[in-house]
Amino acid sequence: MRALNVYTKSREQFARAEKVIPSGVYGHLGPAEGCFIPVEAFPFFSERASGTYFWDVDGNRFIDYMCAFGPNVLGYNDPDVDEAARKQAELGNCVTSPSTRMIDFAELLVDTVHTADWAFFAKNGNDVTTMAVMAARAYNHRKKIVFFKGYYHGISPWTQKMDYPGILEEDVRHNIYVDWNDFEGLAKVFEENRGQIAAVISQPYMHGNFADNEFPKEGFWQKVRKLCTETNTVLVIDDVRAGFRMDLAGSDHYFGFEADLICFCKALANGYNVSALCGKDFLKNTVSSLSYTGSYWLSAVPFAAGIACIEKMKRLDMPKILIEKGARLKDGLIEKAEKFGFDLRVSGMPSLFYLRIADDPTLMLHQEWVAECVKRGVFFTNHHNHFINAALSDEDIAETLAVAEEAFEVVRKRHPKEV
Amino acid sequence: MTELHNTDAVTMAYINMYAVLGTLENLCQLVPEAKELIAGERIRVGFAVKGGPKATLVFDGGSCTCEEGAEDCDIRLPFSGPEKFNGLIDGTVTPIPSKGITKIPFLLKKFTKLTDILAKYLKATKEDLKDPDFYEKSTTLMFYTIASAISQIGNHDRVSEVSAGYMVDGIIRLSIAGGPSAGICVKNHRLKTVKRTPKAPMAYMEFADVTTARDLFDGNVNSVACIGTGKIRMGGMISLIDNMNRILDRVGLYLAD
Repeated sequence: MRALNVYTKSREQFARAEKVIPSGVYGHLGPAEGCFIPVEAFPFFSERASGTYFWDVDGNRFIDYMCAFGPNVLGYNDPDVDEAARKQAELGNCVTSPSTRMIDFAELLVDTVHTADWAFFAKNGNDVTTMAVMAARAYNHRKKIVFFKGYYHGISPWTQKMDYPGILEEDVRHNIYVDWNDFEGLAKVFEENRGQIAAVISQPYMHGNFADNEFPKEGFWQKVRKLCTETNTVLVIDDVRAGFRMDLAGSDHYFGFEADLICFCKALANGYNVSALCGKDFLKNTVSSLSYTGSYWLSAVPFAAGIACIEKMKRLDMPKILIEKGARLKDGLIEKAEKFGFDLRVSGMPSLFYLRIADDPTLMLHQEWVAECVKRGVFFTNHHNHFINAALSDEDIAETLAVAEEAFEVVRKRHPKEV
Repeated sequence: MTELHNTDAVTMAYINMYAVLGTLENLCQLVPEAKELIAGERIRVGFAVKGGPKATLVFDGGSCTCEEGAEDCDIRLPFSGPEKFNGLIDGTVTPIPSKGITKIPFLLKKFTKLTDILAKYLKATKEDLKDPDFYEKSTTLMFYTIASAISQIGNHDRVSEVSAGYMVDGIIRLSIAGGPSAGICVKNHRLKTVKRTPKAPMAYMEFADVTTARDLFDGNVNSVACIGTGKIRMGGMISLIDNMNRILDRVGLYLAD
């Protein structure tokens, strides 16, 4: 049995943090939203990162299957991306006039992303999903936006729900919610709101939290595309999470349809802060008309990093590599689970797989197993999809499977199977 | 009742009935003064609110229980609307029984005294809270009031109905370690609070101790930070906890002074 991690310094740092930072560590990297269950099993702060690993402030090393929740696609501190960023930093970053790196990056995205005739840059996924919705409304002068239940499109008020703290009923008044994969339901909503729907926004497949991820039914996207085209409704694909881990040309391309607008962030620049909205030509003038910008949105270093990242991903055929690595891990995890009588469900794309032990509807067994893995140096998370990066080696996968096996054994001993 | 933050008088009436008056059940178990006050009483007091809750408080030899419906009672207090019933709890409305006129002395003396004791524990002064025994009982009673209010708000408040709409079937165990425990039972997006430990919860949220619970109830600490420090434990179907916490956020809008 492996030695279990100790997190003394993480706890000390959290005590410091909660005095001066609301909730200590907020958002998805924090213990509450990150579902650290039990909290003692998880590190709170990292010291450094390299390749597929990060080390916490106590010196524990983790094989990281969250990849900073997606941005780490090539491996932390990728030498090619970091070198491109360093060179650009020597020239200039946040300057009164933007660098021509911005044009280079936009040209590269137009060449790479199937549906892209242009690219607009910001910082976070939320910036570009918000812009997509604004662009749709500016284009067809309609108010309503259709979402698929289980969605996540960011943190702006329009993406949240009426019962969230700080959200007004008016913020979400024009939101319409439809069940995922329910084309008939969507068509009914269009009929009931004829001429009022500005956009349909969706992730390429349902990778919401707390539930197995679900692919589109055969022909679903093609029917949605046709409906949107016929009604002059803008079809927005939020590819922030899945982008470049399924298909470098965009996840809409993977599923055989074309979005009008597509949002990228996470894997775009291997951890450098940039996001992009790409779109079709007919929306370019509308986007030009929007008042939408930010202090750091045209900084050159992330553009240089993004160019290096995409070029490397193209050179290596990155989705293929990540899907293959994820598939090996998936098969291995299922085998280890079966050995101890657990029904481990692995859903979604192997390159951004979602895990759930299905034997227990409360998910408490799943939470126990994830905790045992984390305590042994494999950073899984409870109820969010995971991410594969290119630096993950066969040895890392083997070590992960060994840890997973040990964790299954521990949980099974605690919960003997009834004969 | 103002419409601040989308609160409404109907939801307030359900809270007042089942969460505030409902806590008399626990008061009579926990506080000897309350138990002694009703020791010899066997009487059923019905509350019938037009467009609101209908329930009966049953006093039976030192115990108090809250039952659904206001038909089978010795004294029946009708209210023309939720606002009038809320006025009873605020002390601005004096009820006139439609049945059981001869039982009015119980209402005027013992019942009023009992609700005064309840108010003393639910709206405790800093001075009273210096007594550790009072502090623990006050916090325990607040726990039951809040646990009961969650279900009423989830079922009636238009904002929290959204939260309930996202809740899957199952029971949430809400508890203070070593102290009180309750189940928030969710079925078809309707909530019901059962004031005992559920056998097979789908999810749980537990406060580490009475002090943590008190600090949270009083708004002195933040629940998200408490999860980080381990002062609040949660597990199981976290989406249930997540949505319950959105409802919990609105409890203060109704119950705060």
